[in-house]
Amino acid sequence: MSRALLIQLARLGDLVQSLPVLTSLHSVHPEQALDLLCPSPLVSLGELFPCVDRVYPWKGEKWHELATTKKTNCDQRLVQAKRYLSECAFPTYSLAYNLNNHPRGILAAHLLSDRVVGPGENGPLKPTLPAWAGYLRQIAQDRGKNRVHLTDAFCGLCQVLPPSDIPYLKAPEVQLPLELERIVNGQSSMIVGIVLGAGDADRRIPLSVWQDLIVACAERIPQCYLFIIGGEGEREAALALEHNLPAKYVNRVVNGCGRTSLPQLVGILNRCRWVVGSDTGPLHLGAMCGARVIGWYFSRARVHETGPYGIGHYVWQHESGQPRESRDDHGARTERSSSDHWPIMETVNLMREEQVDSIKAEWDLWTSHRDEWGAFYTRDDKPDEAVLRRKDTWAALSQLTNRDFQMEISR
Amino acid sequence: MCFLGNHQETNKVSVLKQNVSLLRRQNQALAAQILQVPGGTLAIQPAKSGMPTALVNSRYIHSAMILFREAERWAEQRIKDCQTGETIVVLGVGLLYHVQALRQKLSQDHVIMVVVPDLSEFADCVSARSLEGWGERVMWVAGSIVDMVARVIQQAKRVRILSYEPAVMVHHDTYEHFTLQLRDRLAQQLSGTLHIMVVGPIYGGSLPVARYVVNALEALGHRVSWVDHSPHEAGYRNLETIRDTRLRLTVQQRLSDTLGVISLAHVAEDPPDLVLALSQAPLSMAVLEQMRRKKVLTAMWFVENFRHLTYWQQMVTGYDFWFVMQQESCLDAFRKAGASHVSYLPLAADPAIHQPMTLTPQERYEFGAEVGFLGAGYRNRRQILPSLVGHGWTFKLWGNEWDNPGALVTVLQRGGARIDTPTSVKIFNATSININLHSYTGEGFDPEGDGVNPRTFELASCGAFQVVDARTLLPALFDESMMAVIKRPDELLSSVQTFLHEPARRLAMAESSRKRVLEAHTYEHRMKTLLGAVGLACPDRLGAILQGERHGESLISRSGACPELIPMLQQFPSTDRVELVDVAKTIRQKGPEAKLNREELLILMMDEYRQEKRDFL
Repeated sequence: MSRALLIQLARLGDLVQSLPVLTSLHSVHPEQALDLLCPSPLVSLGELFPCVDRVYPWKGEKWHELATTKKTNCDQRLVQAKRYLSECAFPTYSLAYNLNNHPRGILAAHLLSDRVVGPGENGPLKPTLPAWAGYLRQIAQDRGKNRVHLTDAFCGLCQVLPPSDIPYLKAPEVQLPLELERIVNGQSSMIVGIVLGAGDADRRIPLSVWQDLIVACAERIPQCYLFIIGGEGEREAALALEHNLPAKYVNRVVNGCGRTSLPQLVGILNRCRWVVGSDTGPLHLGAMCGARVIGWYFSRARVHETGPYGIGHYVWQHESGQPRESRDDHGARTERSSSDHWPIMETVNLMREEQVDSIKAEWDLWTSHRDEWGAFYTRDDKPDEAVLRRKDTWAALSQLTNRDFQMEISR
Repeated sequence: MCFLGNHQETNKVSVLKQNVSLLRRQNQALAAQILQVPGGTLAIQPAKSGMPTALVNSRYIHSAMILFREAERWAEQRIKDCQTGETIVVLGVGLLYHVQALRQKLSQDHVIMVVVPDLSEFADCVSARSLEGWGERVMWVAGSIVDMVARVIQQAKRVRILSYEPAVMVHHDTYEHFTLQLRDRLAQQLSGTLHIMVVGPIYGGSLPVARYVVNALEALGHRVSWVDHSPHEAGYRNLETIRDTRLRLTVQQRLSDTLGVISLAHVAEDPPDLVLALSQAPLSMAVLEQMRRKKVLTAMWFVENFRHLTYWQQMVTGYDFWFVMQQESCLDAFRKAGASHVSYLPLAADPAIHQPMTLTPQERYEFGAEVGFLGAGYRNRRQILPSLVGHGWTFKLWGNEWDNPGALVTVLQRGGARIDTPTSVKIFNATSININLHSYTGEGFDPEGDGVNPRTFELASCGAFQVVDARTLLPALFDESMMAVIKRPDELLSSVQTFLHEPARRLAMAESSRKRVLEAHTYEHRMKTLLGAVGLACPDRLGAILQGERHGESLISRSGACPELIPMLQQFPSTDRVELVDVAKTIRQKGPEAKLNREELLILMMDEYRQEKRDFL
């Protein structure tokens, strides 16, 4: 049995958005075992992906140590690197799919397989990008009227079409911490996930905005509980948020920051009906766990490229990039009139399945859909011309790849 | 393991005989000498376990309770740092429990040399404890310090010194001389080159020293990155317009902190093997701690009087190495404050700058004088120098901080303006008798005057004659055939009177002083010494590089475990230092069509991670 490897060395959000391409690859090449190489902290999540055979950790800190330890000559470094790689016990791969257009991904692909698909497929030192990688780079640079979602572009990179059905992550059988278990699994009420943090500071939503949203949810959605999602780094912010809430709402909030592993988080997100947040890894994970997602996209986040993948999600896209309000020392904005500048009540209305005006101050509301070319977002449910052009984009980019893929596209 | 359980004379003789026989196989002379010395340095007595322990001056050298466990612990802690290819030189003899433990725990590839500074102590030891089973795998080094150093140099390329402190204390001075001589001998053999980042001050007396250090290191072939903060002087001084003292000090501190972070950014961009700071360099403890976290070695050459400038007390644990211009009391103070490595390193001169020169008539007219002094207006100088005014000779006073000069007003030049280095060299060359009085904020000469100022070396390097006040460390640097040394202020006038009429003697003395500078007191000499000390303390890091172990040819000769690297290394000149970054660069130069093998890919991968700097600042 031949064996292929998919390499995704980027962050949580990118790994989550790699699930569809893994699903497609598995369905197109069912005879081929498919492994995943991802950053070591994300391995436990990769192990939940249904179509992946084995998950291998990429330990960046180990490579950094090998490269920077002061006591070794370059010959000793090389010996140690070879030893480390053999300790990793990678099998022989007939093919490596690389999703990362940076040297580490390209080099890892060539180290582990003679044949590479994706960035670096023409050689580890060749700057020429494959068609889909070039397309993604161009989109990142000029932000043109792109409508091919990143998740689907990953499929294009690997020369497969988006999967016919959207893959979801099921709740694994993991025990939650007792105090979370009671709240998450013990009640039939609606749980709303609040994704507090963001990897990049400019994508963080101010605490005052979260506070207003929580109050609005608690007041307007009876029986709802708000589960705060975040890592160790968000613990302090979550405590501050709890501290600032009016006392009567405190028992409606569950602080899960830094208290769950990734499999536990998947379990909790499977119980959430809605997840709200900026363009972050846990938001995408929520979508892949079957929750409906409402994203607040600002700064560099763009709905058409990285909106939550699937059907029935919403994204409030800020038109100028950065919502108003100044920041305090902790990166939180200080003004209290959040509702003037953020679509707080409108978000609550969406969760209440009420009619919402698609324009709010500087925000536009987009809704997700999906067809054979992947996911797309529309305003007022009307696909625009750019959405319709996706087929041409697929055809044009696929002409530059192998014949089987071209036939698949034309069919 | 054989061990003398009681102290009966017969047993003692038998153990001694056995040990001498063992030593004879390795070092006949030492074995013979052992039988000649009376012993008696160590007081041997049984420990609680019955095994012998030793005391000197009523102080135990080994535990009275757990001899072996204590020795094992000592050895275990030290072997963690020992690397393949190093020769271990043990200082401290006592009853050698520590050496026995070290020999048993350390791989047989390591050569262990034990320095024996005193045969009497060694005789006591070999009469009390058997060396059988381990002593034959130890090299015993005895004799004069010069001989012992030569023996170590002959045997070892890379030396790691391990000190057993309780026994070192018995012959502390001998061991210290041994270490200094070993350092200097090893420094003479250095062939490897380092990347050294020199961090200078914003302004002040150590700024020119930073420049000389940069020149010297470059002349020695090292790659030097100079983080020059002097362009920020105008901005820093401009803050003096803030009248509120607290505000002013706060913003000055903030600016200084920012310059420290800028230094850190330079380190992150191009990581050096060593950061060498000069006194007043704006590196805060936070910056130094971050450098330590990032495994960057740091050294400070503190070219100030430690009694006058005391900020070193707050910084002492921040630097890995301290070099100071004063001895004993200064070294003690730094050690007590927590310095892990502190060494004496006197100032020097840069002969490319401080040199004899032919002056134009116009320069001779402007700068020339029979007697001259260049320096700032410290209290002792204001008190002593007026005695030279109003005699039959020309006297010129140069330098700044001479407000209200009193009797000196008639001799003060350029209105007390600051004199730059090129002008100072002309003044030294144009003056028959250069007065060199060390600064002191009291009256007369500093009663604790020990360290020698840079002016002494600079005048000597210019071939200029000087009358200098006595310093306790001066005789080790220059003798009285090279300069006139006065012990009291009232000797100044008579000394000038004497030498003014002896031009030939002045010329001869000045020439000898210049010769001495060129032989032993240039900044290149100092940098060799400094790097020798750092290399000796870090044999596996800087020591190995300085010994040339990262030269292309050396790497090729040791590439047995990785033969794939040899063709890559062969592309470099054999005596060039080759690092991962260099190999990676040649791989990338192969061009876009190149097919890379596994080893080349691994090197590129490590090079990608080498460039990672995200958590540096």
